[in-house]
Amino acid sequence: MTLFISITIAVIFGSAAYLMLKRDLIRVITGMILLGNAANLFIMAAGLRRGRAPVVPSEFETSDSLVQAMTLTAIVISFGVATLVLSLVYRVYDAHHSVDLRRLGSVEAVQSGLDDQPTAHVIQAADDAQDARQDREIAARQGGRW
Amino acid sequence: MPEFITNPNLALLLFCAAFAAPLLTTVIGTWRPALTGIVAIVTTAACLAIVGISYVAELSSINVPWSETLGLRFHLELDGLAQMYALLATGIGLLVVIYASRYIPLHLEHHHRGLDEQPRFFGFLLLFMAAMVGLVMAGDAILQFVFWDLTAIASFYLIGFDRDREDSRTSALMALLVTGISAVLVLIGVLMLRSELGTYSIPEMITLESGGTNVGIALGLIGIGALAKSAQVPFHFWLPNAMTAPTPVSAYLHSAAMVAAGVFMIGRYYPMIASFDWLLDAMLVIGFLSIAVGGVISLTRDTLKQILAWSTISQYGYVVVMFGLGNEYGLTGATFYVLAHALVKSALFLTAGAVTEATGATEMSETGGLARRMPVLALGSGLAAAGLIALPLTIGFFKDELFFAAAWERGPAFGALAVLSAALTFAYVSRFWIGVFLGPVRIEPRSISWFLTGPVLVLGVSTVIFGLWTAPVIGIAESAATLPANGPAQIEIAYHLDARHENVMAIATWALGILLVVSERWWSPAARAVASLGDRVGPERLYNRTLKGLEYVSDWIHRVEVRDLRSRVATILAPAGILVGLAVIFTPNSDAFEIGNFDRGDLPVAMMLLVTALAAIAVSIPRDHLRIVITVSCVGFSLSVIYSLLGAPDVALVAVLVETMLGVFFICMLLLMPRSILRFETREPSERFGIRRDIVLAVITGATAFFVVWGVLSRPSPSTELIDRYEELTPLAHGRDVVTVILADFRGFDTMGEITVIALVMLGVMSLIRKGRLR
Repeated sequence: MTLFISITIAVIFGSAAYLMLKRDLIRVITGMILLGNAANLFIMAAGLRRGRAPVVPSEFETSDSLVQAMTLTAIVISFGVATLVLSLVYRVYDAHHSVDLRRLGSVEAVQSGLDDQPTAHVIQAADDAQDARQDREIAARQGGRW
Repeated sequence: MPEFITNPNLALLLFCAAFAAPLLTTVIGTWRPALTGIVAIVTTAACLAIVGISYVAELSSINVPWSETLGLRFHLELDGLAQMYALLATGIGLLVVIYASRYIPLHLEHHHRGLDEQPRFFGFLLLFMAAMVGLVMAGDAILQFVFWDLTAIASFYLIGFDRDREDSRTSALMALLVTGISAVLVLIGVLMLRSELGTYSIPEMITLESGGTNVGIALGLIGIGALAKSAQVPFHFWLPNAMTAPTPVSAYLHSAAMVAAGVFMIGRYYPMIASFDWLLDAMLVIGFLSIAVGGVISLTRDTLKQILAWSTISQYGYVVVMFGLGNEYGLTGATFYVLAHALVKSALFLTAGAVTEATGATEMSETGGLARRMPVLALGSGLAAAGLIALPLTIGFFKDELFFAAAWERGPAFGALAVLSAALTFAYVSRFWIGVFLGPVRIEPRSISWFLTGPVLVLGVSTVIFGLWTAPVIGIAESAATLPANGPAQIEIAYHLDARHENVMAIATWALGILLVVSERWWSPAARAVASLGDRVGPERLYNRTLKGLEYVSDWIHRVEVRDLRSRVATILAPAGILVGLAVIFTPNSDAFEIGNFDRGDLPVAMMLLVTALAAIAVSIPRDHLRIVITVSCVGFSLSVIYSLLGAPDVALVAVLVETMLGVFFICMLLLMPRSILRFETREPSERFGIRRDIVLAVITGATAFFVVWGVLSRPSPSTELIDRYEELTPLAHGRDVVTVILADFRGFDTMGEITVIALVMLGVMSLIRKGRLR
């Protein structure tokens, strides 16, 4: 059983790493969620004994209550992290009109003068970002929500 | 009267007084800047008084546990060696502080800076003194290292006191890097000694010393740190650069304190060092090299403080040589030399500062003829210079006598080298004094305060007094030499009017020295060539190259890693994988991994594990974001099934709740963003190797996780005591569900923190979605 659980955790972890290496920020977030899942399962699997639910008094052997408490905390915290990061991605989209890491990076490089010979895609992306900013400014002048 | 007043623990008292000094000075100085100097003088004088009392009181020490699990002790011992260096640190310190109390306000005025910077200067100067006092008293090697590093930190701020000037910042960094990096070698050496001898206590180490190769290497590492601190070749280059510091700093750190800390360290470990001939030989080579390099370059410099800085390198070369010679004369001579040198060299540094203050000149060629204009200064520094070139009737005569005796005992060749070295000293010191005080007057000096000339006169006169009345100095040096010699040391010095070796050598030195002074025209091109060769290929160039190279590497890493989030993720995952892989390969793990029992009851769990794994793999397949979110939810929900099968209903319920909320939230977020944006990835050309690189990294990461997790899970803790205890206690907390009770009661504060985190996250999410508005 130890081996099976280890393999499962490893698969979730590897899958999470693969997603976190993607250019798409949404996939990066799913990678982070999976990473949290792998960690939670790991904490649960580290329980010292298995059995019935730890409700006392119990005539059967109970499962490890401590790891359950730890996992509970971990689940809630990873939920908090995931929602916060998701909202941050939304703000990135809002500011740059893109959630693609390479596009965001190359636009930043053009704007800060690191990249002298941008490709057509990058120029397009930079223009899009510029448009988005102008749209927002117009919206702000009109006083309404954009 | 209580016992601690009639018979106080002087070691502890000195320690407290020394560290109270910078604190008081900074606090009172910030409150009333005008009082800074006075407070500094008074507190330093108090420390000096305690050191003085310690000579008439009995030996005192304090030895209490500091961190018992690590075997560390707070062990301070005010023995003879500590007394001498503490006397130097506080005695020279007092004179320097008196000098600085007038010098620093003027200095700040010249640089158009406010007087409120005074506390910063005196605070760090006294912190340095305190670190020095702690260093010399420490009997625990780690405690000693802490003070050792503290001196480096304090010196960084002191050398870089003129922070508006770039050269002073560069020099401060150089001093910190050279002495700081070499300090790491000291730490490694100390840890090696600990693993060999099983103790951090230096006195114990000396009794346990085994003469093994590792002990030798450890002492060699400590020696490198010590020599770097004492500015010996090839680590010497930081000292001349550090001359950008205000003069009191140079006078204190670079004549009596910081450089002395290096040879102090050698003295502390000397009984162990002495049993390794190769260490002693290495010290001889480095010492003579430093004498030669320092002496020759000192002869070519024109800047007053540079002449003195290079001369310090050369002078500490003498001390290292004497330790390297290792005979009785050498050991007592080394301690005596440090004492005598500190007196005279600080006087010369203070002279340079006073001359610059009076005339505005920093170069020797700009000054001259000051003997008639500033007779007191000329007298004070003349006496000090006479001490340094070892004229009779000064304390310096004996330092050279011991040096000659030690060298002669080793052999005539060493005797000849010693005479040559001393002649070099004679030449550059005479050149300094003659250049400043004799010849035509080039710049008419202003009159300067007694605070600036007084300390020079005191130091100069004491050079002569102790040259005539040698008993106290001999007493101090003898008690200090007891520890390096590992037994009673005796210094027999007196004036003998006969043709013994020492006297002949001294006369030869003076003759040779005078010859060098009068023939400056003949040798100066050669000396200049040597100096410029040193500038071109010396270790300073290597230092600068290394620094540039490191900057380049850092820029390169920045470009590669920081510009793209994914490279950053990859730079964490790949090295972690490689390290774990190496660990798995190179550690014995025949029974480290367990497959574990598997019975029929486990079948449902195993099936759910399979489902979870498949779902996790499936997350990376779909193009459409909605499907990705649904697949991620699948992983989460199947995990909650596993939790319930593992006998954890609480966890399973929470997991279901959280997974539902997260799924809903995720889909809502996707709704806020137009599809065209989300689909962008498909429009752009994909990178070469992109997918393949990601897969390789994912496999490496998965394998890493697999070995780590399997290794950990194969070795569960044998004791379930804590769980049983929680179950016993649960009824007392008026609950039945153990998990609930743990969260709400036993670990209530944890849960409260967690609730706070979630509340903050919710606030953050709200403000992010509403673009900063919460209403």
